[in-house]
This record gives sequence, structure tokens and C-alpha cells, in this order.
Amino acid sequence: MKREPVRVFPETEEYREMLEIKHLRSKNHLVIAILTAGALITILYTALAAYPLVYVLSLAVAFLALILLNLTCLAYGRENVRFNQLNKYVTTFGVFSVAVAMIFIFRSPSMLSLLFIAYAIAAFYQDRKVMFISNVSLLFTFLALMTNYRAFFAVENASAENDFGLFFFVIVFITLLTISQYIMIKQKGFFYNQIALSRETEFRNIEFMIDAGEKATKTTIDAKGYFAATEAFAAALSARIGVPDALGGKLSVLRELEAGETRETILERHPDETAASLSRLSDLLFTGCHKLRKVAIKIGRVRAVDVHRREIFSETQFKTFNHPSDTLEIKIIAFAIFYAALKRGSAGMRPLSETEIYDAIVHSDYYYYNDPGVMRIYRENNAVFDAIARDAFSAEATK
Amino acid sequence: MIDFLRRVVNTDFLPMNEVRKIKVVLIMTFLLIVTAATVGFAFSFVYDDVVTIVVMAVFVLGAGFIYLLIRFNRIMAAIHVTIVYTIALMMFYTQGTDSFYAYLFFYISLSVIVFYQELYIYLTYGTAVAGYGVFYILMHADNLLAPEDIPGSIYAYVVLLLLFYVIFLIQSLHNEKLYTDLNLEWVKLNQVIGSYQDFTLYHLEEIRKREKGIPFYEDRAFRKAVDELSVFVCEQLKEHGKDITNVLDLYIYIHERGLAKIIDNEELSTSTKKIANRLDKYLLNRRTDMVSILMNFFTRFRTSEPYRPNRYEYHLGRLAPATDEQIVALAFVYRYLANEPSAFDAWGEPLKTMSHEEICQLFAAPEMEEFLSDGQVAFFKENADLFRDHLGRKG
Repeated sequence: MKREPVRVFPETEEYREMLEIKHLRSKNHLVIAILTAGALITILYTALAAYPLVYVLSLAVAFLALILLNLTCLAYGRENVRFNQLNKYVTTFGVFSVAVAMIFIFRSPSMLSLLFIAYAIAAFYQDRKVMFISNVSLLFTFLALMTNYRAFFAVENASAENDFGLFFFVIVFITLLTISQYIMIKQKGFFYNQIALSRETEFRNIEFMIDAGEKATKTTIDAKGYFAATEAFAAALSARIGVPDALGGKLSVLRELEAGETRETILERHPDETAASLSRLSDLLFTGCHKLRKVAIKIGRVRAVDVHRREIFSETQFKTFNHPSDTLEIKIIAFAIFYAALKRGSAGMRPLSETEIYDAIVHSDYYYYNDPGVMRIYRENNAVFDAIARDAFSAEATK
Repeated sequence: MIDFLRRVVNTDFLPMNEVRKIKVVLIMTFLLIVTAATVGFAFSFVYDDVVTIVVMAVFVLGAGFIYLLIRFNRIMAAIHVTIVYTIALMMFYTQGTDSFYAYLFFYISLSVIVFYQELYIYLTYGTAVAGYGVFYILMHADNLLAPEDIPGSIYAYVVLLLLFYVIFLIQSLHNEKLYTDLNLEWVKLNQVIGSYQDFTLYHLEEIRKREKGIPFYEDRAFRKAVDELSVFVCEQLKEHGKDITNVLDLYIYIHERGLAKIIDNEELSTSTKKIANRLDKYLLNRRTDMVSILMNFFTRFRTSEPYRPNRYEYHLGRLAPATDEQIVALAFVYRYLANEPSAFDAWGEPLKTMSHEEICQLFAAPEMEEFLSDGQVAFFKENADLFRDHLGRKG
């Protein structure tokens, strides 16, 4: 049994969720706008059609409750992201409840479409659980209404063919909506995946670049020079603004952290600092792969970024061995080169074992970087691949 | 079939063109089911039997045409044909029967159109369907009303259909903007990663030369491994596996001669040049897609610091909330930019550092929002001379 593919970098999962929540808030704004429009149309209609006040008020209260709930969850969502999650589920239940209430109040075949409108509103969230709730609500409500309240949907020219057609096409419609929602949820996931993956790839590539640079040049960053220059800068700044120590002793704490002093010793010497502040300050160190160095490296590269409109959505941006324009031979060769290069290794990149390669390719996003046929062959014959590579790279073969 | 279903389940790993293909196949399947069901319904429609048979034959031909378009990878054309097919089905039903269920086809058609998530497609076909829907409702009001219906019921049909259209239009607009923004961010990230990899590759080459290692494409063992692996895979998938060695020879030849010379060579056929052009992105002698993928893949096996919530945070204001810490951080960053190379110079060496003026320009650029707050930029501007004099270029 093949395992489900996992993210190539599991670290990205939290970032993906963060991206999702960030965009969920903008979707909430749109849902509130649609609910408000729906409320205005409904109340206007019930008032113009002279419906009893109790109906007008009950529908107004239901819409108002939904809108207020959305606003409240948006506000609290800033403090706790779970409110945003809660909001989408409750709103989905809410819109279906209001739709059913309206069907019962108006008792007209025209109101059947309200269920589709409720589905369309819930579809905004592009969430798997919401999709499940919507599908169950839509299907259950439709079947319940058609079975027990058939009279609501009786039109002038009712016939057996009409009944069957209605059942059949509503079921077809629900199936279509479900497939459509499912794919759209996945499609959105692709972008979140790619951005999260690129973030992690960037993080690791910076570290790789630092290491390669230090190994190639056999030098490390001149930390002493950085501290000396910054101290001179701090002294000049202090003189300019007229305070004795403009940087509040932070430089000496950083210097001790850089020297590898224990946190306990530093805390004894600098009672104003806490364990949390030391942990934060360690991000401001500049040697090795510390955070601030990464920031500076990234800033230094930003000026070179120049994106043209045509590059957005260009398939060439997606680096893969499965380009649709490539022939099967090219796809095979691309994978063979990739595999052999990993097995051979090179300066700065150690040879990888078969288990490492197999796990990373077959059980992660990388599986989809390749032609399905080629992947099937590798999955079923990885031992053969391993044997070919071992044979080629064995000492005798390389003589 | 199982492979297709697996691809559907894992759509979030697939690029846009693959997803489009999956969507077309799913819609084609859906249309085939509806067309098959239509055979049952069609003979109760108002059309003559001959007309019904002709129309059904056209639908079958249409399905075959969609299949051919998918088979030959003409996905955008297939998308348009499936939509036209859906609209034709809708017209066939709405003109053929007075039954209430025909009205559902407006919703079904809109759902098919919105499924493709292409704004211009929704705006053209979707608007046409909604417009025809309104016309149909107003013209066939008698078929849709209940014996004792609510006042203005026919307008409720119109409003609800238009609301459905508008909700999906808003969703399409929102998705279009969202996907464009995400894509832009992704492309920018890829470019920045590319610039790191240019440096890494340069350094790895230095290490290789120092260690007297041979490049991949000159290594006989590597060639042997690629050759045997390619033949093995090719033999599993095609009848003549050995043919692939010609493509492999061309691949090695591009490394030796360079793509430009191969393209200019009049003795080589157009198809060979085409293959050479496609192979170019997989070369190993510069930062190609192949080298990028190899590097990215390899980073997975490097030890990295454990995950922390601020792992992808590059804003100095959030990394160092206290003002004095921010000044120290800014000073270090300035020192780094002024002294450490961040680009290749005119001779292709990674030695280009930034001048004070370039740093001033950079800090004032809108891209700095990701790294610096307005307060930090203002502080830098006010004290730019101190930064230049004390943290500027050494020597």
C-alpha cells in the first residue's frame, strides 16, 4: 500500500496554515457583503409583498445574527485564529438554515434555488470540512423537502418525468458542485504549497550558500570587525543625540553571546536581560547561519528581482521533469540524470543512499515532478536502479 | 484509471496545466453521463424523432471531438468545446421540454463554467448563460410557477439566478487576484533563490576544482549510469529502448559544444535542434532547472536549525522589537551590504558589493517593506552619514 505523499519539508505545514488563515479573512469580508445584500433584498421583498411582520422580523434577525457572528469572529480572529475557523463552519450552517427557513416561509418552487445560493456562499471558503457540511446540508435538505414537502415545488405542469428529472438533475448538480469544489480546494492548495515550499527552500539555500562560500574561501565572517565598526558607530550616534550609551549595552550582550558565554553567565552580568530577550538577541548574531545574516543576504538580493508580467503563471516557473512539451525520452533522461547525480554526489553534495532518495522521491511532493510512467517504473524497480548506479560508480567501473 | 484518480486526489501537487487537463477529463466524463441520460429524456421532448436522433449524434461526435482534443493535449480548446457542449445541452433541454428540471440546466452550466476558474471564460460564457436564463424565465414563466405561488415569484427566479451568477463572479474575481498575488510572490521567491544558487554553484565549482574533481558530464561512470538507467526505463515503456542513447549523446554533446553552436549548425536537422533546445534546461554546467532541483533536493538532507514560528520572518522590526536592538541590527545589515559581495561583477566573479548610494536607494525602495519599518528607514536617512563613515566599506 502506497503511503500518502507528505510535504517535502514538513516544517512548512504551519506556514501553509498561516497563509490560509490570512486569505480566509479577506474571504470573510466578501461573505459579509453578500449576506448583507441578501438580507436587504429579502427584507425589501417581504416588506413590499406585505408579508406578516413576524416573518419579516424573523428573517431580519436571522440575517443580522449571521452578519454579527461574522464580524465578531473577524474581530476575535485577530487574537485567536480558531475564531476564523469556527466562523466558516457556523456561517455554512447558518446560510443553509436561513435558506430552509425561507423555503418554509415562501413555499414556492422558485425558492429551491436558495439552496444553491447557500452552497455558492459556503463555496467561498474553499475548505474541505465546509464542503462536507455543504454537501450533506444540500443533499439532506433537498431529499427531505422532496419527500415530505413535495407540494412546495409543485408547478403547473407537474408530471412523473418532471419529478424524476428534478431528482436526477439535482443529484447530478450536487455531484458536479462537489467535484468542482474539491478540485478548487486542491488548486488553491497548490499555490500555498509552492509558496511554503519556496520559503523553506530559500531558508535552506541561504544556509547552503553560506556553507559553500566558507568552505570555498576557507574564511568566515569577520565578527570582530563588525563589532568594532558598530561600536564606533554607536559612539558617534551617542555623541550626536547626546546620550552616554545609545545602544543600551546591547552590543556587549551580543559580543558575549558571540563568544559563546553561557546564558546564565550573561544573565548574571546583565540583570536587565531575560532568557527570552537573550533568545531574541541571538537572532541578531552575524556569524554562521544566524537569522540577521540571512536577513542581510536576502536584502542584498532583492534589488536583482525583476518580474515581468508574462512570467506570472508561466509553466516554466514550475521546475519539473514533467514538462508537457517534452518527449518521453527527455523525461526519462531528465530523471536518470537526476537520480545518477544524487547517487554520485559532487563537491559540497554528498552521495545519497537509496533509502534517502526513494523516501524523498516516492513519498513526497517530488513524486509529481516526474512523468507518472517513469515514477511507476522507479517505484516498482528501485532496487534495479540502485544496482545500476552502484555498478557504474563502483571503484572498478571508474578505473 | 487508478493513476488518474490518484492524480485527482493529489491535485494540490500538480501545476496549472495538469490541473486543467484533469478538469477537462472530469467535465467530459460528467457530460458523457448527462448525454447518456439525455437519451432517456430526449424522446419526451417536443422535437421530431429525426431531430432528436441527429442532435444526439452531434453530441456523441462532440464527445469524440473533446476526447481527441484531450488526447492531443489541446486543453484550452477542449475547455471551450466542453463549455459549448454544455450550453448546447442546456439549449436542447430548455427548448425541448416545459418541465421544471430544464431550468436547473442554467445552474449546471454556470457550475461547469466556473469550474475552470478562468475569469474571461466566466465573463463571456457565464454572462451569456445568465442572460439566456433571464430571457428563458421571463418567456416560460408558466412552466415555472406553482398553482398558488407567491407574489412576484417569477422575479425571484430571475434574482436568484443572477445572484448565483454574481456570487461565482465575485469568487472568480477574488480567486484571480489571489492566484495572481500568490504567483507573483512565488516567482519573486524563485528569482531570489536562483541568485543564492548562482553563488552556491560558483563556490561548489571552486571546491571541485581545488579537489581536482571532474564535472558530471565528463565523468565516464556518471555517463554509464545515466545511459543504463535511461535504457532500462525506456525499455519498460517503449519497444525500442536503445533509441534513447541518441538523445543522451546529444545531451552530452550540448555540454561540449554549447546550445548556440548546435542551433547554428546547418547540418543538424530541425528536430534535433528542437530536442537540443528542450534538453538545455537539464544541463549540468550552469544553473539550469536540473541544477536548481538537485540543489533544492539536496538541502533536504542538510542539517538545518529546528523549526521556530519566526523561521520565515525577515522583518527587523519583528525580529528585534526594542529600538536599540533594531539600531544594532540595522548597523550590522549596513555593514554586511557595504562589505560582503551580493552580486557578480563584470568579470563574472562574486565580488560586487554595494556602494553607500546604492544602499540608500535600496532602503528607500518599496521592496524594503518586507524587511524594514518606516521608522527604521527614517532613522537610517537621518543618520546616513554615520552609517557611511563608520560601517562603510573597509579600506
